[in-house]
Amino acid sequence: MKVVGASFSHLGLGNSDKSSSSVNLPSTSNSIKSSKPKIKPIGRNSSFKIESPSSTPRHSDQYTDLDDDWDADVGQGLSSTESQPKFLQSKPSRSFDYPSLSKSNHKRSESGVKKHVDGIIKDPANSLYTLYGPNITQEDKSIKEIEELNAIVSKFNRFKAIIQDQNINLVSLRKMAWNGIPSELRPISWQLLLGYLPTNSDRRVTQLSKKRQEYLGGISQVFNDNKEPATWHQIEIDIPRTNPHIKLYNYECTQRSLERILYLWAVRHPASGYVQGINDLATPFFQTFLSSYVESDIDIETFDPKVLPKQVLDAVEADTFWCLTKLLDGIQDNYIHAQPGIIRQVNTLKDLINRIDSSLYTHLENESIEFIQFSFRWMNCLLMREISVKNTIRMWDTYLSETNGFSEFHIYVCAAFLVKWSDELKAMDFQEIMMFLQNPPTKTWTEKDIELLLSEAFIWQSLYKNASAHLRA
Amino acid sequence: MAENDDYTYDYEYLFKIVLIGDSGVGKSNLLSRFTRNEFNLESRSTIGVEFATRTVEIDGKRVKAQIWDTAGQERYRAITSAYYRGAVGALLVYDISKSESYENVSKWLKELKENADENIVIELVGNKSDLDHLRAVPTDEAKQFSVENQLLFTEASALNAENVDLSFQQLLKSIHDMVSKHQFDMTDYSGPKPSGGPTISLTPTPGNEQSKNKSNCC
Repeated sequence: MKVVGASFSHLGLGNSDKSSSSVNLPSTSNSIKSSKPKIKPIGRNSSFKIESPSSTPRHSDQYTDLDDDWDADVGQGLSSTESQPKFLQSKPSRSFDYPSLSKSNHKRSESGVKKHVDGIIKDPANSLYTLYGPNITQEDKSIKEIEELNAIVSKFNRFKAIIQDQNINLVSLRKMAWNGIPSELRPISWQLLLGYLPTNSDRRVTQLSKKRQEYLGGISQVFNDNKEPATWHQIEIDIPRTNPHIKLYNYECTQRSLERILYLWAVRHPASGYVQGINDLATPFFQTFLSSYVESDIDIETFDPKVLPKQVLDAVEADTFWCLTKLLDGIQDNYIHAQPGIIRQVNTLKDLINRIDSSLYTHLENESIEFIQFSFRWMNCLLMREISVKNTIRMWDTYLSETNGFSEFHIYVCAAFLVKWSDELKAMDFQEIMMFLQNPPTKTWTEKDIELLLSEAFIWQSLYKNASAHLRA
Repeated sequence: MAENDDYTYDYEYLFKIVLIGDSGVGKSNLLSRFTRNEFNLESRSTIGVEFATRTVEIDGKRVKAQIWDTAGQERYRAITSAYYRGAVGALLVYDISKSESYENVSKWLKELKENADENIVIELVGNKSDLDHLRAVPTDEAKQFSVENQLLFTEASALNAENVDLSFQQLLKSIHDMVSKHQFDMTDYSGPKPSGGPTISLTPTPGNEQSKNKSNCC
């Protein structure tokens, strides 16, 4: 029997949970204080830390849990959203401490797998229990740094508040997500933005379990039939060539998962079938969803998923499959015969560059460069051959927040990407341009570079989106 | 990037070559071995078309090979076949350890016939000759097929570099021989070289003044 106590407020609906993290002076870190976020401008040499809310329960009704198995209890509590919405809407009458809340109690598993994966499988919103934003303990921060950290914490909490709403407001979520989603909240946010996860929290558990069943059913069906040899062969040779520079994708377990996802998708979409490059597009989902079940201090790109329980892997695989399907639904004509979607995008890009940077356009023309020669791959792989997976993931936060992120906004991103090197390109000849654009200097790019690219793309979109439609007609 | 001389216009011929063949036979690594002397074990699939060049000496003349490496997957055929036009040579690659990639050679020849200039010089290359213990395509059979179809032939290994230079050289030489035989007017071709777009082509390319003037062979 253990005595535990904490707040149930993270289950709280609406915006009640604004207090999940606060910056406090160290001396108060263990005392029960007001749960209002404290943003104290503290002196240069004072230390502070961001406190987890466990130690600041809002409701004093503490309770003794007679159940040793808190995991199961959490599970019940979580899945009870459907059966007991009233209970949850009212002030929680009981609360318990979540073990990972306070650092000293938190025992990380050695495998790096989170302890309470069962709850997260059921409803990814359950992961919010253990998420309190960035873990900041460093000392000697300047006031400016503290302000920045507080901004991060407050952003995190605003996100969390949106996601914890019983009826999630997608407009607000999109607005927030456009500027980047905190990594811990990304899996659930993406699934919501893609429409995979219902916005109504009551429907989440059943919907998810239904989709995962459906996926597993699909897999057992297509893998019982004789495999379509051409499709299977192509997938088999592309799997080892998928992000081969990242460890995660060299593991057997990852490769078999991706293989199943791609094959099932191909069989279900005979008009396009599997096309090289779709393998790349599955990886941001796989990596992001996998991260839900892994401790946040682990680099997911070096993690071997085989240590995860089978049901976790099944869930990650199914979620990846469905989200990939949703994404590809929007860009289907990129991959059907003759790839008309890509041709259209390349032409739009050409059109755009002519308006945005006519001297670059003229130079490319004089050098006999055709847009399709360098931008085909940009469209086919959504710039994933030019930009790292981690940066792509950040980029997709924005794409998923745009109305037609992958089919339209992407073209503006490509325009911004090309114009970025306008000066260099204008000094190059045909061969140099081709070589440069085949291997652009993006290896050292950080999230900041991506965000700059996205904001440039946003400007081009607002300036030219309707104008170009008008002129083409 | 290849040697510096690739960035000068110090060459007398510019030959456009295409690399074709089934997915996974090693086209991109043959190209990187030839142009940069590199082999990448972690290479990713080619999407659409990739480009590289190298200048070599053939019969005392500097010949620049402008090589377009194409994606092998069927779906990309509509895009990649556009690059066959204007190519004077093709390396048709199969994997000696994968009989299917050899069986598809006729399909690729048909592709070339439909989309490339009729005088294009074709070389059949059996790649991965280092995998002799897994060989599925006998050398003699491929050699015989090449003779019957008037193709040049080599077996090569991008991995250990064996015969890679040779296969490209052989193709370039054959193109050069053919261009010379057709009494290509070199006096007309001495000025600064075109900016990469136009190449020597076996048939005049309509709508391209530069190459029409400079390469009216055949």
